[in-house]
Amino acid sequence: MVDTFTNIQEILSEILDIEPDEVSEDTYVIRDLGAESIDLLELAVALNTAFKSGLKSEIIDDEIFLRFLREYMTEADQAGKEHAGYLKEKYPFFSETRIDEMLSDLSSGPVLKVSDLIDYIHSRSIAV
Amino acid sequence: MKLEFSGKHALILGGSCELGITLAGLMIKAGLFPVLTFRNEAGRKKIVTAMEPVDGSYSTAFFDLADPDSVDSLFQSGDSVEYLVDFAQGDLERLVASHGSTDKGKYFEENVANRTKVIAHVARIMLGNQFGRLVFVSSTAAVRPNHGQGFYAAAKLASEAIYKNLGLELGGRGVTTVILRPGYIDTGRAKKFIQSKEKEICERVPIKRLLVSGEVAETILFFLSKSAEGFNATEITLDGGLTAGK
Repeated sequence: MVDTFTNIQEILSEILDIEPDEVSEDTYVIRDLGAESIDLLELAVALNTAFKSGLKSEIIDDEIFLRFLREYMTEADQAGKEHAGYLKEKYPFFSETRIDEMLSDLSSGPVLKVSDLIDYIHSRSIAV
Repeated sequence: MKLEFSGKHALILGGSCELGITLAGLMIKAGLFPVLTFRNEAGRKKIVTAMEPVDGSYSTAFFDLADPDSVDSLFQSGDSVEYLVDFAQGDLERLVASHGSTDKGKYFEENVANRTKVIAHVARIMLGNQFGRLVFVSSTAAVRPNHGQGFYAAAKLASEAIYKNLGLELGGRGVTTVILRPGYIDTGRAKKFIQSKEKEICERVPIKRLLVSGEVAETILFFLSKSAEGFNATEITLDGGLTAGK
């Protein structure tokens, strides 16, 4: 049985037309691989198909690609809440450690990593 | 010319209209499997009656732009669709300066926002297959409306823009779109009006006749075929020259 990482690695290499060994768990999907919005759309559809999630790919889009990350931070500010705690509520599939990492890494660009995709798949219990 | 096709499964939104039924017949002859949508029991019966000779070669499904959740029931998990032909359109004939904002807002919600939901849903399925062809049947009224057709024209133009951008965005992934703007056809919701003014209308059309549903359906089938794959994200006018001059 192909594990979740290998499956995602194959999907990314096909969509982005890159070699599989260019993709590791620590690779940033947008920052390192240059994935654009059309690639992320295709990735959502492919993840949904590959993992037979039963989730709509629209939901995967919204949840995993951190589309609303900065909006959530603004919401937290407006509600007088800590960013980390608020983001944990919005992204329950990420650990507190990972959310702290994301917050400290935001200034360098989009923070989504391949390992985040794996965590999402596992958390949603949709892994093969 | 024998038309060839890259896929098999076709979804016809607004499939109970005469054009939809005519197109479905042509699709079956071409080896495609059409699914015709209806929005009420009368529409379903109309399809079943007209398609009785080819029973088993097509199917029907409920879909109503006024009911956005109905798009979810259109597709079961794993269903495939390679072609979409969109005839669906609500009617709102009203002068722009008339009263009543609620029905106008609802009209745009149904005919633009809800249509967008369907298009996104279908496009994602097509994206997964790396192939899809969508034809939106607009109207010359989108660019040359008569009095009372302002909302209809606006909804058509907005929908055209959505389809056009879809072809722009996903063309590289094999999902392409064409917008067809037919002129006066002796069928559909304007049939009575057209028949009552046929002589005057034909005088205005350079080819001096109305379009018939068969030729419009054949044109749509052509646009779905491999021969027409170079047409993408564009509008084609099929009006006998009606809108070319003053």
